[in-house]
Amino acid sequence: MSPDRETHPGLGVTIAAFAVIVFLQVPVIVVVLAAFSTTSYLTIPPQGLTLSWFGKVLSDPTYLSAIRMSLILAFGSTAISLALGVASAYALFRRSVPGSEAIISFLMAPLVLPAVVIGVALLQFYSLTGLRGSLIGLLLAHVVITVPYIVRSALASLSGLDLAVEEAARVLGATGFEAFRLVTLPLIRPGLVAGALFAFITSLDNVPVTIFLIGANQTTLPVLIFSSVEMGVDPSVAAISTLLIVATGIILLLAERRAGFHRFV
Amino acid sequence: MSALSFEQLGKSYGDVAVVNDISLTIREGEFVSLLGPSGCGKTTILRMVAGLVQPSRGRILIGSDDVTALPPNKRGLGLVFQSYALFPHLTVYENVAFGLRRRKVAGAGLDKRVKEALAMVRLADFGQRYPRQLSGGQQQRVAIARALAPRPRVLLFDEPLSNLDAQLRDEMQIELKRLQRGLGITTLFVTHDQGEALSMSDRVGVMAKGVMQQFATPEDIYHRPATGFVASFIGKPNRVSGIVVSRAGKGGVVRLGNAIELPAASLDQPAGTRVDIIIRQEAVRLLSDRSEPGGLQGTIALRSFSGSRVQYVVRLAGGVELVAETASHGPNAALAPETPVVLSVDADSVFTMPSEGAGA
Repeated sequence: MSPDRETHPGLGVTIAAFAVIVFLQVPVIVVVLAAFSTTSYLTIPPQGLTLSWFGKVLSDPTYLSAIRMSLILAFGSTAISLALGVASAYALFRRSVPGSEAIISFLMAPLVLPAVVIGVALLQFYSLTGLRGSLIGLLLAHVVITVPYIVRSALASLSGLDLAVEEAARVLGATGFEAFRLVTLPLIRPGLVAGALFAFITSLDNVPVTIFLIGANQTTLPVLIFSSVEMGVDPSVAAISTLLIVATGIILLLAERRAGFHRFV
Repeated sequence: MSALSFEQLGKSYGDVAVVNDISLTIREGEFVSLLGPSGCGKTTILRMVAGLVQPSRGRILIGSDDVTALPPNKRGLGLVFQSYALFPHLTVYENVAFGLRRRKVAGAGLDKRVKEALAMVRLADFGQRYPRQLSGGQQQRVAIARALAPRPRVLLFDEPLSNLDAQLRDEMQIELKRLQRGLGITTLFVTHDQGEALSMSDRVGVMAKGVMQQFATPEDIYHRPATGFVASFIGKPNRVSGIVVSRAGKGGVVRLGNAIELPAASLDQPAGTRVDIIIRQEAVRLLSDRSEPGGLQGTIALRSFSGSRVQYVVRLAGGVELVAETASHGPNAALAPETPVVLSVDADSVFTMPSEGAGA
């Protein structure tokens, strides 16, 4: 028997795997198709073909301000998480702080805690501190849920690093910060790009934490989609979802091209 | 004029002293090796000189400047790492330019010095390659060029040849030595390979357990080891447990096993001490004339041919075995097992050290 045959999965496994992929991807296709329907309700297959729903969402001030809010949060929280996450991962990796294992677990906790629990906890905390409904409060909440992605990717990249390269830079005359900026940072950059994209998408797409903390007259894109669906669905929801899918796809494609993203997933 | 000196330099982690108050002076242009088994503290010394480890005690002087408290980037040293530690994201050219750029060398001056350094290690045409595109030996040479380019006051090597294969290692030894001579650069070289240390160095410091055992020329280290440890670490020693039988002046008589007594020219321990007796293989001679007085009667147990030399395991009275080495083309080059032979051992090639297991 050839080794190929031995490692090849059976027909049943192949069919099952294929079915899972189809099951996961069909809803995405359905949403995209529904966005082009001329009817004023969601239907499959789409009746007719129109781009008017895209025009409608892109000229709707509610959607536009939600998109703006989401981008502010995603860019802002990713930037803050990068600065904080890389700094803490670096310190933790160099063991320059006591109890580093405990601190790592603490930073990673938002990954394993149910998002709803984080939402409720922050709601109570913000009510007490008066941060509720403020942009700062929302931004900090997104930092909490995005920072684990940065810390994890930074730690993974650092652990693959020969520590001697930084020492070599130091002996050659670089200050501690120069050694980090000129040697360590470029070497961990691919991992950081991957982590930052995860963080960005996580923030962009977050509902369960955001919905607890959002102010009365602000909203983010996923929260708006969520509440639109509750109130009754027209294809504009499908259109904005399609835009979100396309944007995410482009980001992932760029990431793969630039940084070999797949190595970090 | 001293280029690098240590005054009572020591390092401890908690209660464990890894380097024990070492004082040493290295002259301008001198090539000094620190030699010892792993864990003897030699790399810690090197890292303290480079500023990567902070000493617990003592001072480090480069020239007449006390650098003990300076960070590594202020010491003006060159360091070649065991792993080479090249910057993988930079070209060979930029690797070599790194130290110069930190010293604000720019423009034509930078270009000239990078090319000079690359020419010195015979890699003039490799500037635009990345380290991963080079062989191990070439990477090693880039590491050397990178360390040399900023014209450091002292060049440090941390086991630089241990990742190369044997033939390349021999070539690099000669190339390194020639480069060091040509530049006249003071060099501190850390290694566990005695061949490297003896062949390249002006002076060798042999270390064990954080203590400097002997700091002397390679010839003195080899022929006049100061301690039993040095004798046991250098060359290819026989090591047999035994006892000091009697003392007379500096030397005395030792007994190997139960029966064999040998005179020793220099002993550290008093009579009655259990010791390990160290005798170099090439100091154990096979006598052609079996009737010579003082010879040890034995039989060949095993013959092993290693090119230019032949080793014999010789079984003596009481089951003691000694390895004797001889030239592979001499008169005793082809003795069969069970051949009776007579050995002679020079009294000044017999050394003792505290018995393993009997405590230091």
